[in-house]
Amino acid sequence: MICEDSLEGIFTGIYDAYLKRKPHAQVHLCVGQEDNYRLFAVYEQCSPKEEKAVKVARTIGRELGEEAYMAICRALASPEPDKGEAVYKMVVAGLSMKNKKGVMGNLKDPFIRRVFELARFTANEAHYHVEFLRFKELENGILYAQMGPKNNVITFIVPHFADRLPLENFVIHDILREIYALHPAGKDWYLVTGDGKEKPGQALVYSQEEQKYGELFTHFFHTIAIKERGNYGLQRNMLPLRYRKYMTEFQ
Amino acid sequence: MAFELQDTKMSVADTKISLADTKISLIENKMSLMEKLGILSDAAKYDVSCSSSGVGRKGDGTGIGNTLKAGICHSFGADGRCISLLKILFTNECIYDCKYCINRRSNDVPRASFTPDEICELTIQFYRRNYIEGLFLSSGILYSPDYTMELIYEAVYKLRTVYRFQGYVHVKAIPGAAPELVHRLGLLADRMSVNLELPTAEGLRSLAPNKHRKNILTPMRQIQQGITQNKNEITLYRHAPSFVPAGQSTQMIVGATPESDYQIMMVAENLYRKFDLKRVYYSAFVSVNEDKDLPALPGGPPLLREHRLYQADWLLRFYGFEAQELLSQEKPNFNVLLDPKADWALRHLEQFPVEINRADYRTILRVPGIGVKSAQRIVRARRSGSLNFDDLKKIGVTLKRALYFITCGGRMMYPTKMEEDYITRNLIGEKEKLPFDRDGMTYQQLSLFDDNQEPMWRQAINS
Repeated sequence: MICEDSLEGIFTGIYDAYLKRKPHAQVHLCVGQEDNYRLFAVYEQCSPKEEKAVKVARTIGRELGEEAYMAICRALASPEPDKGEAVYKMVVAGLSMKNKKGVMGNLKDPFIRRVFELARFTANEAHYHVEFLRFKELENGILYAQMGPKNNVITFIVPHFADRLPLENFVIHDILREIYALHPAGKDWYLVTGDGKEKPGQALVYSQEEQKYGELFTHFFHTIAIKERGNYGLQRNMLPLRYRKYMTEFQ
Repeated sequence: MAFELQDTKMSVADTKISLADTKISLIENKMSLMEKLGILSDAAKYDVSCSSSGVGRKGDGTGIGNTLKAGICHSFGADGRCISLLKILFTNECIYDCKYCINRRSNDVPRASFTPDEICELTIQFYRRNYIEGLFLSSGILYSPDYTMELIYEAVYKLRTVYRFQGYVHVKAIPGAAPELVHRLGLLADRMSVNLELPTAEGLRSLAPNKHRKNILTPMRQIQQGITQNKNEITLYRHAPSFVPAGQSTQMIVGATPESDYQIMMVAENLYRKFDLKRVYYSAFVSVNEDKDLPALPGGPPLLREHRLYQADWLLRFYGFEAQELLSQEKPNFNVLLDPKADWALRHLEQFPVEINRADYRTILRVPGIGVKSAQRIVRARRSGSLNFDDLKKIGVTLKRALYFITCGGRMMYPTKMEEDYITRNLIGEKEKLPFDRDGMTYQQLSLFDDNQEPMWRQAINS
C-alpha cells in the first residue's frame, strides 16, 4: 500500500490494510514513493479519505489510549520513510495485546519500539525548539521566529507559545516546509502553508529595539560563562550546532 | 488581608525614597545599560542555580508568561552550563568581605546597580523573544540585609504587578533580613534560596567572617515552614496566594575548605530531610581572589569532585541511597576512577547478580548502568514477556557496565567472575564518560614524569 505522507493519509492506509483481510505480515505500508521496490509485491495506491482516517483515529484513541495516540501523532511527524509501516504494525500488535492501554510499554516488539523511538525524537526536537526558538521583533511589533526542524514539530510547540504570549502577535515560520503558525493577540492561533514563491527573508524589517536587545542578550550570554570552566564539548552536546544558525546569540 | 496590602504599598514607597539616595552616592551613575548588564551578570555567574523547574503554571491570558514543571533551558554558555534565567545581581556593592567572593568589600572591581525599571524592562524584553525563562535576582549587601531585601522586593513587585509577568522568578533570601520581608517576597517568587556557602560552620567562620551559620539556617527554616503552611492553605482555599511554589534550594562551595566528601554528603542529606530542600547545588571552587586562607588550585576548579558529588546527590534523591551507604568515616572521599554507584556495587557484590525479569524496581535501580528511565521501562516492558540482553540494550541499559551485575533468565551475558578486582579492572578499562576534559579541545602534554596521574592512582588504590 502506498499512502500520502500525512496523518490522514497514513490512517486511511491502515483502514484499507484492514479491509484487505489478509495476514498482516503480508501487507506493508509505505509513505510516498518507495525507492527500492520489493520483489513479488503488488503496489496499491490509496488516497486519503477523511471519514476512514477519523474512524482509525477514534479506534486508536479508544482502544490503545491517549498515550499511544500521542506517540503515534509524534511518530508521524517524523521524516523517516518507515514510519507508516511501524505505526500500522504497532496498531496491529497493540490491538492483539491483553492490556491494550499498556501498548507503549511493550518495547520488546520491534514496531512498537520503532514508534517509541520516532516519537521520542520528535518530542525531543519539539522541546529543543521550545528552548531555542528566538523571536525577533519586526517594525510593526510582530514577533517573528524562524526554524528548520528535522521533524514537523510546529503543531507541538505553538500551543506552548500561545499560552505564554497571549497578548502578542507572533509568527513561527518553518522554513523547510514553508509552514507558518500565526497567533493574533488575544485570539486562537492557526496554520498557513506558504506556496514557497515569496522570499519573506528579504522583506523583513526589524524594529529599532530589536538590535539593542539582541546585543544585550549576546553580551549577557558571554559574560555569564565562567572562563575557568570552559567546556565547548558539553555546550555542543546540550545545544547542537544545527539549531545555532537561528539563534540570536550565535549570529 | 486589606491591611497587609496597604502595608506592602507603604514600604514600597519607602524604598523609593531611599533609592534616590543611593543614586547620589554612586559615583558611576551614568553607566550604559550594556555596561551594567555586563558587570552585574559577570558578578552573578558564580551562583550555580539556574533551574526554572518545580512549578507548572498556565498563563491566565492577561499578562505574559507561564511556567513548565520540568523547566526550560534557553541556551548553553561556553562552559556548558544552562542559561535559563536572566541571572543578575541587583547591585554588586557589598558591605561584607567574604574571602572567596569577587564582590567582597576589599576588592577593587567596577560597581554598578540596576534600577527596578531596568530589571523589569530587560526581563520582559528578553522573555518576549524567548531568550530566557524568567528572572534570577540576587544582590550584594548594600547598607544592610533589610535594605537590600527591600530593593529586591520592589523590583519583583513591579515585575509581577505592573508588567504582569507570570514567568519564573527565583530570588535570594538575604541572611539576616527581617522575616516579614522574606515572607512578602516569598509570595511573589517561585523559588527562593539561601546560600549555605560552605558545608560547615567552621569553614564559614574562616572564609566569611561576616556571615553566621545561624543567620543562614533561620530564613531557610522560615521558608520551609511557610511552604508547608501554604500547602495547607491551598487545600482549604484554592485561590490562596502561593508561597515559593517551586521550593527552595541552596548551594555550597566545594574545595575552598578542607571538608571531606562524607561531611558534604551528610550535610546535603540533612538539608533534604530536615529542610525539605528541592535542590542542593555544589560549586567547584573557582579561585578569583588572592588570599592566604584560600587553597591554591593549579589544576583549575575541582570539577571531578563536583561531578562525583552531583552523582551521589542524584543517588540520594532518585535512587533510594543514603549517604551512609556511599561513604563512611573510614572512607570519607569518593573514588576518583569509579562513579559512586559502581563503587557501592563493587563493595556489595553479595547482593548481585540481579535477575532482571524478577527483581523489584528498587533493586534494579541499584544496578550500575541502569538509570531511572531504563528501570521504569524494564519494569513496564517485562509485563508483556521476558526480556533478554538484546532487549535491554535497546531499552537503553548501558550493558558494558551492567553486565557484571545482572542475569536475564538466570544467565549472565558472558561467563563472569564475581570478584571485586576482576570487575573493577574491567569497569575502569571502559572509559567513563565525563562531561569535561574529553571534548578534544583540552590537550595535555604527555610527559615521562606525569605527576598528575600518580596521586590519583594512589588514592584509588587506598580507597
